[in-house]
Amino acid sequence: MLKKIGYLAAGIIFGFALSRSGASQYDFIYNMFTGVNLKLAFLMATAIVVGAIGMLILKALGNKDIKGTQIKISKKPFNKFTVIGGMVFGLGWAVSGACPGTVLAQIGEGKILSLPTFFGMIFGTYIYALVAEKNNIND
Amino acid sequence: MKFLFVDLWPWWLAGIIIGLLVPLMYYFFNTALGVSTGYGNLLKIAFPKIKLKWLNTDTFKNKSNWRFLFIIGMIIGGFISARVSGMPFINTGMGLFTQKLNWSYVIYIIWFFVGGALLGFGARLANGCTSGHCIHGLATLQKSSLAATVFFLLFGVIGTFFVKLLVLAGA
Repeated sequence: MLKKIGYLAAGIIFGFALSRSGASQYDFIYNMFTGVNLKLAFLMATAIVVGAIGMLILKALGNKDIKGTQIKISKKPFNKFTVIGGMVFGLGWAVSGACPGTVLAQIGEGKILSLPTFFGMIFGTYIYALVAEKNNIND
Repeated sequence: MKFLFVDLWPWWLAGIIIGLLVPLMYYFFNTALGVSTGYGNLLKIAFPKIKLKWLNTDTFKNKSNWRFLFIIGMIIGGFISARVSGMPFINTGMGLFTQKLNWSYVIYIIWFFVGGALLGFGARLANGCTSGHCIHGLATLQKSSLAATVFFLLFGVIGTFFVKLLVLAGA
């Protein structure tokens, strides 16, 4: 139960931070990609540096989680689909002005047009499952 | 308190908080920060009898696992942010996209659905999205995430260039 509240709380923090920083606004993403305002790029760069420092601290403390279990870093495969998927995702980012995280914050904010993006994402995931049925992609 | 709840946060504050989620997710839950895989959970919740093998891998054995709760939390987070900052309950616009264009809602819905489908399909092919690859993957120094991030941003710039040129400029 405590763990479930923890998952929910982590999501609340993430959604709240995305919304409070403006990252869930269409214009914020559009302005980054047109070079008008790079705040979102700075935000992401800060998050990467802080995340990396945090991971170094965890490592220095023995790479153990709260229960004392060894932390297992999720390794992401690198193949041609990383590049193809990256291209498709980038276009989706430009068209929708959202990413899989910010669209959730948009729903909470009451932005009606986030719903087609959200259902589109579920549909895109379904298309992936169809393609993965007959092709070995990432496993 | 206006600084935290009404004004938009400076980029560094959101960057620090989101960045901290990477080690915190590992420390408390021994899992990688990431959002897009959770859309597989949603698909399975909507269609429990789906037979496709990818949706029946161990990742989706428990469809209301942490990924699902994390997604619900993110929606609640957006909701709380809207309430404390005094946003309207319902917002029918989407920034300058809907300000500049005067399309019917049917076309808007198709447009954003297509955008979402590209995001969903692309994230799964690439094995991650902005949070899983750009933030978590780069913070854990993964080559795959560097490649994914470069192509996310490159095609975001190219895509937006064409949206600006072909769609918004004519409006």
